[in-house]
Amino acid sequence: MIDAVKLHLQGIKSALAVRMAYRADFFISIFIMLLVEALVPLVTYLIYKSGASLPGWNMYEALLIQGVFLLSRGISFPFFFGMVWNTILRVQDGTFDLLLIKPRSVLQMLIVTGFDSEDLGKLLGGIILFSVSLANIPFPGLELWLKFFALFLVSLVVMFGFGLILSGFGIVWIGNYRVYEIFFSIANFGMYPANIFSKGVITFITAVLPVAILGFVPASQLLGRPAEGTLITVVSSFVFLFLSFLFWKAMFRRYNSAGG
Amino acid sequence: MKNICKRQFDIFKATIFATYKQWTAYRSHMAVSVLVGPVFFLVQVFIWSAVYSNRETVSGLTLTQMLTYYGISSVIGYLIYDGSDMDLQNLIRTGGFITFMLRPFSYIYYALCQKIGHRLLALWVEFIPIYFLFLFAFKINLVPANLFWTLLSVFLSFLLVFLTNFCIGITGFWLTKTEGLRRAFQVLRDITAGDLLPLVLFPVFIQKILFFMPFQFITYVPIRVFIGSYELAGISMSIPEIVGLQAIYVVIMFLVYKVLWHIAIKRFTGVGA
Repeated sequence: MIDAVKLHLQGIKSALAVRMAYRADFFISIFIMLLVEALVPLVTYLIYKSGASLPGWNMYEALLIQGVFLLSRGISFPFFFGMVWNTILRVQDGTFDLLLIKPRSVLQMLIVTGFDSEDLGKLLGGIILFSVSLANIPFPGLELWLKFFALFLVSLVVMFGFGLILSGFGIVWIGNYRVYEIFFSIANFGMYPANIFSKGVITFITAVLPVAILGFVPASQLLGRPAEGTLITVVSSFVFLFLSFLFWKAMFRRYNSAGG
Repeated sequence: MKNICKRQFDIFKATIFATYKQWTAYRSHMAVSVLVGPVFFLVQVFIWSAVYSNRETVSGLTLTQMLTYYGISSVIGYLIYDGSDMDLQNLIRTGGFITFMLRPFSYIYYALCQKIGHRLLALWVEFIPIYFLFLFAFKINLVPANLFWTLLSVFLSFLLVFLTNFCIGITGFWLTKTEGLRRAFQVLRDITAGDLLPLVLFPVFIQKILFFMPFQFITYVPIRVFIGSYELAGISMSIPEIVGLQAIYVVIMFLVYKVLWHIAIKRFTGVGA
């Protein structure tokens, strides 16, 4: 375990060193990531400022859901979601083969060498939005915080599952970075209160493809009004991770090349 | 003169055909839009249906008008999409641009032809399926108020987004890697062009600023021309007037490109790329 952490830290160090070759672009990119993250809350802000609202949710409660979502994305994107673009890039240019001969698991190497320093801007954006929203709602008690952290960890489990699925696609669907768009379009459902969706969609995002856990479910818990079927969402999150892993393995077995 | 025109037309045809063929190999990548576009739109349907559940209008728009706005925005987006900034930046960074300095035609002409070839493929892979999906599955009225002005406005938007992106790509001559700047521009453009939400939802003083920026002509104006009425920051204009203004912005952007290119090209150095 310590060895794995050391390896991950080394990966982060190397990625930062490489990125520093274009410092100006790096800092602009971090700043831009921060701005990009502000787009969704901006829409919510403008909706509320125009006098409209999402029924049953005030602006800061709605922003808190999005803050939790961005926080979850802000942790997963730099630290492990880079396995997606790393897989696509390596399979496309043939360097995926190099990972097969390393004395570590291929998946671990994909994560380690896929650290994305620019995405730290996402994390910063998530922290800012979460903090601003939190400052404008009644401060939650310890019990709510503990439940929130537990559910937030489950949201990272789901993000990891998505990372595995998209990485699996990257092995067989050569050079297609648009798999990210598939993820974003589906994950969008987790950024809004579930009560705005139809019953069928709610069942789908809580029990089948548990994207509700990415924002809505943990945020509801923190607000002290737990979402219906939270337990089912947690169970389906772990089932989702397990199935994602099986999917990645199956795609990995289908990988073939002519020597890089 | 006749020979020059024929030569330019040959280049036009050959580049479009080559780009079309090249991207046909990746048509499944493009087809991702058929899933992504409607799913994004479905989320918008739920959000705005919830917002409108306790009111008739938001900033003067009804629910039907709001959904129509997003529907038109999506389909127009497939027609005008552009990646010329990224292509130019890659060529500068890798040194591949040097080969274009040796060719007997301008790079911008080649890039424009490439864009046309790319979008022609998108026409049947992205635009047509999604158009009919929105029309029949979501019941969105995607019939333009006036076909001539709509086509003209979309064409001008096609040129404007190409020219603005190309100018961003030109900054690669100074910055070498312009990914950050490109993203910054995209964010600014998406917000101020009306991609995220209708510009009339912004506070009035911001609408007044947006009125004088070129970005509204990329998305907001073609959508309003499609709908058949234009209004921003309390300013109403007839469709021919706003399309005329759009054409002026295209000319201004072309002049900006000319100046930038003139300065930038002197900075380029490449060895045997």
